[in-house]
Amino acid sequence: MFSKIMRVAGIDIKIGFRETTILYILIFPLILAFILKALTASNDIISLNAVIDPSVPSQMEEYLEQYGKVERVDSREDMDERVTKTDDYLGVFWNGESYTIVQQGNEEDLGEVLEFVINSMETRNLDIPAEVRISDVGWTLSPMKQYGGSLLVIFMSVMGGMVIVLNLIEEKTSNTLAAMNVSPVTRKEYVMGKSFIGFVVPIFHVIATLLILDYGDIDILKVIVVTLSIAVISVLIGFLIGVTNDDMMGGIASMKAVFMPVLASVFGAIFLSAKWQFLLYWSPFYWAFKSMDAIILKQATWGGIIVNTGIILGLTGIVFLLLNKRIREGLN
Amino acid sequence: MINVEKLYYSYTKDNIFAVKDLSFQVKEGEVFGFLGPSGAGKSTTQGILTGLLPMQQGKADVAGFDMKKPPREMFNRIGVSFEQSNVYEKLTARENLDFYKKLFDVPTLDSLELLKLAGLDHVADKKAGTFSKGMKHRLTFIRSMINNPEVWFLDEPTTGLDPAIASQIKDIIKDRHKEGRTIFLTTHNMFIADELCDRVGFIIDGVLKLIDSPRNLKLQYGEKFVDVEYRLDESTKKETLSIVKEEDRHRLNEIINTREIELMHTKEATLEEIFIKVTGRGLV
Ligand SMILES: Nc1ncnc2c1ncn2[C@@H]1O[C@H](COP(=O)(O)OP(=O)(O)OP(=O)(O)O)[C@@H](O)[C@H]1O
Ligand SMILES: [Mg+2]
Repeated sequence: MFSKIMRVAGIDIKIGFRETTILYILIFPLILAFILKALTASNDIISLNAVIDPSVPSQMEEYLEQYGKVERVDSREDMDERVTKTDDYLGVFWNGESYTIVQQGNEEDLGEVLEFVINSMETRNLDIPAEVRISDVGWTLSPMKQYGGSLLVIFMSVMGGMVIVLNLIEEKTSNTLAAMNVSPVTRKEYVMGKSFIGFVVPIFHVIATLLILDYGDIDILKVIVVTLSIAVISVLIGFLIGVTNDDMMGGIASMKAVFMPVLASVFGAIFLSAKWQFLLYWSPFYWAFKSMDAIILKQATWGGIIVNTGIILGLTGIVFLLLNKRIREGLN
Repeated sequence: MINVEKLYYSYTKDNIFAVKDLSFQVKEGEVFGFLGPSGAGKSTTQGILTGLLPMQQGKADVAGFDMKKPPREMFNRIGVSFEQSNVYEKLTARENLDFYKKLFDVPTLDSLELLKLAGLDHVADKKAGTFSKGMKHRLTFIRSMINNPEVWFLDEPTTGLDPAIASQIKDIIKDRHKEGRTIFLTTHNMFIADELCDRVGFIIDGVLKLIDSPRNLKLQYGEKFVDVEYRLDESTKKETLSIVKEEDRHRLNEIINTREIELMHTKEATLEEIFIKVTGRGLV
């Protein structure tokens, strides 16, 4: 059974690499990831801005001004607040022996650069190198990088479904489906074989995206669990659209119609206030987004992931029960 | 090998039937020709017998399997060639066969050998999408025999092929027949049916009008005639004589014995003429 599933899957993969539309679907999300990276990376590199409290000598203030904007605040509290408020200011204070850099978790790289800068200043002017430590005020990312990443990941889970739609419609229009139906391949083997690509493509996309955007050491296993759970429903929708449409144009129109509300629910998750979020509970993509968001922020727990995944699979189960018969008929 | 009893099928699931009250049997090792004009219900019948269309009413079994709910293993033992070719256009001819081969649980034939058989070996590694209609049709045809099927369903196997290739296909079918395969051949080409089939069934408007061997049909419906042309005085005279009627046979004898014959040939009733005689309709 397994070998036949892999053969059916194999043919889709082979054809996929020879089909420009499918290649485009495979590459497009990665291009988006690179664009997103370019947009968010520019924030990080341009400036090395610092907030300092009264403990930092003016000599150091002048030195730091060579590298970026420097703001002096009246107290440690003001400094922490300043650091949390915007995302590209690092705090610096002097405790008499060493400097401490205060940063948000997403500014790790910047922190290291600043550490280097301060150290080089210190070693030049003083006999004893001053020690620089880094303290975190909580892990937050720029909204663009945080939400962009999760959004892209959800978007990609849908891509696998799209590949299935294209493959199924192709099998129907060329009627190779009939040849498959008079072979010893069972319906189950066929469906599982056709689904395979719907899981592999998102996993490939998601991991590639996370690597491109470089969120640091996030939990890949959690990412895979979330991606797979959301891929199930994308595959299901892919099958439904695939069997109910007889030509590519119709298929693409249906994909837009179905996946629009899906993506809307993800935007809702970003922009709706907590009070209204319940309006989105129907959407498995909402829950997947929540999970991904937590993973990227490194706040995800297995408990939370399992609950969200359970909800996703439950909603998927309902959709499956509604669509099962329609899909079976469509494959005849 | 194939038993069909009171088979009905309606695409619209009402009482507009594409096939009506169909009953026939195909014996093991027999080539059965299913003949009829376009829209008669030939492909519909093949569809039901290969499990592509669901059984609605009546009974049918193929190779011992009930078509009400045929198990998947049945497909290890049958082969199906389609009226319209259906191959993966992005795959080469060889890849198409190699892929299909692997779906079976029984020994299969070598892809390249099959391609040779159909005269496609020179394009084995070209994508099927670049093939002409006839080439795709041949690829579909040879794919259907890859598992050495006991029962072989062929829907219009020679339609759209040039005569040389059509005769190549005919030879392949004849060879399989000699090996004892059961073949269900759908066509509206009477010459093919005449040449290949042990028995033929005439179907029209979904109804099976008659089943018999081409030979019996000719004996029963076709009177045989001889056209004879001979010299009489300074001109040529032509007569058409029945070889069944007593007086015509005497006349023929007399001509042969007394005249100088210029041309003589027998005129057999073709299956096509018989079809028209029986059903009152042409084949196209
Ligand atoms: N998918 C379908 N939906 C509705 N009606 C159909 C369908 N396929 C065939 N029919 C109708 O069923 C009847 C029988 O068609 P069928 O294809 O079996 O004929 P055929 O004998 O194979 O003809 P041909 O020689 O043209 O292949 C025709 O009236 C046809 O219009
Ligand atoms: Mg037909």
